[in-house]
Amino acid sequence: MERREERELAAVKAYELRTKNKAELTKQLEELKQELASLKVQKVAGGSAGKLTKISAVRKSIARVMTVITQTQRAQLRLFYQKKNFLPLDLRVKKTRAIRRRLTKHEASVKTVKQQKKDTHFPLRKYAVKA
Amino acid sequence: MSINSDNSNRRGGNPLFLSTRYVIQQHAPDQDVEATITAQSFQTVRLTFFISACVTTTTQQTIKIAAPSDKNKALAAKKAALKGVNGQKARKIRTSTTFNRPKTLKLARSPKYARKSVPHVPRLDQYKVLKTPLNTESAMKKIEENNTLVFIVDVKSNKRQIKDALKKMYDVTALKVNTLIRPDGNKKAYIKLTADVDALDVANKIGFI
Repeated sequence: MERREERELAAVKAYELRTKNKAELTKQLEELKQELASLKVQKVAGGSAGKLTKISAVRKSIARVMTVITQTQRAQLRLFYQKKNFLPLDLRVKKTRAIRRRLTKHEASVKTVKQQKKDTHFPLRKYAVKA
Repeated sequence: MSINSDNSNRRGGNPLFLSTRYVIQQHAPDQDVEATITAQSFQTVRLTFFISACVTTTTQQTIKIAAPSDKNKALAAKKAALKGVNGQKARKIRTSTTFNRPKTLKLARSPKYARKSVPHVPRLDQYKVLKTPLNTESAMKKIEENNTLVFIVDVKSNKRQIKDALKKMYDVTALKVNTLIRPDGNKKAYIKLTADVDALDVANKIGFI
């Protein structure tokens, strides 16, 4: 087990992870979780200081792997739903509930033909007073 | 020549099947012979065949069977008037006094889009279930004397999940699992192992002795 710890990097790097495919990422995730479980056991058994500091590094590595997995997954899903009418709710814009219910910019700017004509023929004039 | 069934002197009974007197009228020659047999009158059919046998190929005359007479029409009209405009549906026969809600069509869901883009990975996997082993004095006593391991487990896990997690992580079968929730909010699991494995060996293998 110690040899395996020496072989692994101190911390995984996100840009290296993005080159991997899903199967490799899930395998790495499993390995990291196993390492974390063994570290926790060693903590109970009174492990060395080096081992105990490693715990936080491993936890963050697990977080990085999971982040890369979900990021690539969602990017792929957005591509898949690009041509479709309806998006799943978690891929839609979140903002706030009230903002989602507002009129869109286009809807708010729409004018009747009557109003457009008025604006064309009677625009707001700017005057200046000659000194 | 046409055959008209004369029902003027008829008394009661089914107008269609009584014997009737037939009046034979002469039609102009040079007309094709056609014997139209209606389903109504059997008597008329028999007569038609008799007549057509007598008629030679040179005489070309039509043989027509008469339409239902006015009296038949009147009787049909009376029946319809009695029935009324709305007509009457056949009533269902109810054999029980209980009325049960009729079963209607239940369509299965066919959503236009998935509400969640992708289902979540299982949230409570084996790494999450078993948190840490315990190596306190009372826990060590359990290992040596009762062949049980003592673990701190996730509060949301149940005994079956604890058993499976142990199997997956350390390849050990549990005989039975007892759980309790500690006052500090964690769950403690006493996992009794099968007699063929020694808890002390397993604890050494795991690494927390």
